[in-house]
Amino acid sequence: MITLQTFFEEARAGRLTGIRCQRCAELAIPPKEFCPSCHQRAWELVPLAGHGTISSFTVIRVPPRGRAPEAPYAVAVVRLAEGVSLLGRIVDIPVDELRIGLPVKFRPLVNEDQTVVGFGPA
Amino acid sequence: MRRVAVIGVGVTPFGKHDRSSGELFAEAAAEALADADLSPGAVQALYYGNVVGGEAERQLHMGPQAASILGIPWVPTTRFETACATSHAAFRHAVMEVASGVSDVVLVGGAERVLNLPTDEATEYFAYASDATFEQPAGLTFPGVFALIARALMAKDGTTEEQMAHVAVKNHRHGALNPKAQFRKEITLEEVLASPKIADPLKLYDCCPFTDGGAAVVVVTEELARRSRRPVWVLASAAASDSMCLHDKKDLTRALATERAAQSAYRQAGLASEDVDVVELHDCFTIAEILATEGLGFFEPGAGGIAAEKGWTTLGGKLPVNPSGGLKAKGHPIGATGAAQIAEIVTQLRGEAGLRQVEGARVGLVHTLGGNTATVLVSLFGLE
Ligand SMILES: [Zn+2]
Repeated sequence: MITLQTFFEEARAGRLTGIRCQRCAELAIPPKEFCPSCHQRAWELVPLAGHGTISSFTVIRVPPRGRAPEAPYAVAVVRLAEGVSLLGRIVDIPVDELRIGLPVKFRPLVNEDQTVVGFGPA
Repeated sequence: MRRVAVIGVGVTPFGKHDRSSGELFAEAAAEALADADLSPGAVQALYYGNVVGGEAERQLHMGPQAASILGIPWVPTTRFETACATSHAAFRHAVMEVASGVSDVVLVGGAERVLNLPTDEATEYFAYASDATFEQPAGLTFPGVFALIARALMAKDGTTEEQMAHVAVKNHRHGALNPKAQFRKEITLEEVLASPKIADPLKLYDCCPFTDGGAAVVVVTEELARRSRRPVWVLASAAASDSMCLHDKKDLTRALATERAAQSAYRQAGLASEDVDVVELHDCFTIAEILATEGLGFFEPGAGGIAAEKGWTTLGGKLPVNPSGGLKAKGHPIGATGAAQIAEIVTQLRGEAGLRQVEGARVGLVHTLGGNTATVLVSLFGLE
């Protein structure tokens, strides 16, 4: 099984990992112990290429503490080509060019020991 | 299971207070006990709700703290936390404790104090109720969560920013009639649409405020309720959940936990959405009210925005929603909100809501949503 730690270690190296239920083919973002669809515990790891399109986005203008220098910044839910969604920070795309359906590509945003899911231009 | 009723409610004024959350709860609880005509000594358990006290007030173990301030340090207490649905979750468990026969009198409610914090600090603590793995590190805020939902809904069914603005205007109009509301001022559609963006497409007036306040409710057995002046019966109390991470939700445009909790509550009560006369629901953001009116079965999917625009949900409309002013205008002390919504419905069903009274209301519904739509409580109340 893949833990959060390994998911983000892999993501840091540019590799996204999903999990697919070998019983019902449900595809999910880890971590999950049981398949929420069929309740089996038969996951296999599936590499995700990181290509997707924006299914929704927002521009955060009033950020939490410590993030003022980054604002305004965009966060999006991205539908990956493999058929699973992943939330991340949008980078290197002007906020006025964002739209639902815009193709984007995964990139890790690395800040010291933290890795954040990011999406940049496709 | 035994029948259960609410015989006392109490709410502090909502807004800025220079008192701890425990003190705010105690004020509300004293009002609720007086309303119930019960001595504090009659209370057999306290179910207490608070969300960010650990961060904002450096206080955990808040149940005995609240009980001690109230002056009943001997009662068993449990603290609840289900983000913004906290004290409604506490209420459901209080109802189950009385219904099961474990206790005859349970005090339930909650309080929150955050207005002494800078906005960015409060924004950070509220964001702790979203996922700490993907969402917080990406910089997502609570307005951001609902902005993502709003944008998806706008793209799917044509819900508009104007329709969302109508929700804000309506709830401010109601709040102006509520002496305990944080905002008692009407606003215009133009003011809402011109207000600064917080998380596009949500603007300042689409968002509820940070609020200090407390609320309490006294839950008792049928036998005690029969001896009370104005009991309001609990017809149903249901909870449901949905995936924590937004990216795990199958459809951002559906409030699945709301739909599940509503179906469960209607089934418990043997009622349907058409039987409801008055509603207090979770309008933390204007889009949340639109989505909730659809998920609760009052309007078809896609029609929630139209209902707001046409005035169907205003006082005097076909189904008044949030006569208290809602979270938007009454205010949203997150740990107190569920109990405050219940207090409003009890007040409405008793016919004691003054200028904001929904005439002839006999069945009321309370809907409270926690965090990133992952927790929902729905309870139904009636005069019989
Ligand atoms: Zn499966």
